[in-house]
Amino acid sequence: MTRDHLAVYQARFPALERVANNLTNLLQDHLAGVPRIDRVSSRAKCRHRFAAKADKVNPDGTPRYEDPLTQIQDQVGARIIVLYKSDVDQVATVLAQYFRPIEWQDHVPESPWEFGYFGRHWIFALPEDVIPSDVDKQLVPRFFELQVKTLFQHAWSEASHDLAYKPPEELSSDQQRRFAYTAAQAWGADRVFAELWDELGGTDPEASSI
Amino acid sequence: MIQELCARAPKECRIEIVFRPAEDGSANNEARALLEQYATQPSLGCGRAIASKLQSVTTRRSGLGLLFLAKVRSQDGSHSLVISRFPADQGVVAQEVAGELDVEFLERVFMKNAKAYKSVVYESTSPTARFEEGRAIDRQLSGPRELSQYWIGDFLASELRTTGPFGSRRLATAIRKAVNETRNRALKSDLIAASQLLRNQHGTVRSATQFLQRLGVSDDAIAAVRRAFTRPELMDERFEFHAREFGQHLRHRMVELSNGAMLMAEDRVFDDVFDSQPAVAENHVRYSTVGAVVDQRYRMRK
Repeated sequence: MTRDHLAVYQARFPALERVANNLTNLLQDHLAGVPRIDRVSSRAKCRHRFAAKADKVNPDGTPRYEDPLTQIQDQVGARIIVLYKSDVDQVATVLAQYFRPIEWQDHVPESPWEFGYFGRHWIFALPEDVIPSDVDKQLVPRFFELQVKTLFQHAWSEASHDLAYKPPEELSSDQQRRFAYTAAQAWGADRVFAELWDELGGTDPEASSI
Repeated sequence: MIQELCARAPKECRIEIVFRPAEDGSANNEARALLEQYATQPSLGCGRAIASKLQSVTTRRSGLGLLFLAKVRSQDGSHSLVISRFPADQGVVAQEVAGELDVEFLERVFMKNAKAYKSVVYESTSPTARFEEGRAIDRQLSGPRELSQYWIGDFLASELRTTGPFGSRRLATAIRKAVNETRNRALKSDLIAASQLLRNQHGTVRSATQFLQRLGVSDDAIAAVRRAFTRPELMDERFEFHAREFGQHLRHRMVELSNGAMLMAEDRVFDDVFDSQPAVAENHVRYSTVGAVVDQRYRMRK
């Protein structure tokens, strides 16, 4: 990544923060009445993470992004946290009506013997409604990333992120196993809540909604 | 002509479209792959594959066509691909070859009208960057449904960037805001009437401006709705109208009582502006409201 890219990103960052704020409001508006949503949040990717991502290379050593300012699609990212696993599908159904997906993916560990990150991610076309009228549209990416996770999936990814991705040295086998153990615990909790939800009829009148 | 077409395309093509993702959620898309392949390494074989795809989805009504593919490289390093289809007529060419008359039936040579065509432009910042989205235009006098199905939906395997429910909700919200903010009674009535008529447009693809113009809404009223949009240019973005979604966000409730009284208000505020109490008589209800009279009119009823 060139210094120019970073300087441009830094210059557009305040606008992206405003876009992210509007995106939160828009998502909340569209999801109004959908039960068991714990929270909706959006953010503009921080300068350091943008720089780190822009510097990534392919296995053959070539830059992964020739033009990071247009190719990095999570410059604006949103996250919806729901209570139970079945709520992920419910939210997905609503989102499919209003947002145009470019791609989506269910993130699960590769092997059935592994435990790690779980979550559903989409890349959606960014509705221009969230771009303030005084902001130049050219400064704003055309897409945004949206993650939908359960509370336990979210808790695990947040709690493990700084520990697992920024260690001064490579994790030992035992440390990796302990990370996997916490992921398995979170996965198990989600599973048990889903089963209880089904067994108990799944109509909690006190369920929270945004 | 092709040069002019390519120069015009970035400004002329204004219908924003995105490639449809695969069923597994990946960004794999047959049309996208073909177009990117052509943009990276233009070849006759690749061009033929694009033409074959277009031919396979062309409707009987659209008939024969001339297809142009143009890869454009700008001075700033950006690249674009312009694809245009012109309707064509059949023809016969006769040539004298070695004392014999060679008669060939040509199907693709005669352009019917140089101003009636479909185009799409894809732009990327570098030769290897992927096309994420495109912009299209249909300058043929085809119906609004054909626009999305044959050219955009089938050939380009794409969807309009704005979903029908999103566009319909956005329009309903803007009309409601315009109605609430104006003190001009005629303009208010104009928009309320239009909002009733719009419900018959379910499935039609147009921009908000086009929907309102087609219903004969006054320029002042259209301008008021435009001001109510977060970004005025979104008034010109096309979407497929969804009557149900529109109605959910711009609905008026009217209650008619047995004594001839009629009460009407926007559905979402009806219960706030009218207080209702059970009356003594069975099945009777007492409504009350307080406010200044801002308009009063008489209407003939058959």
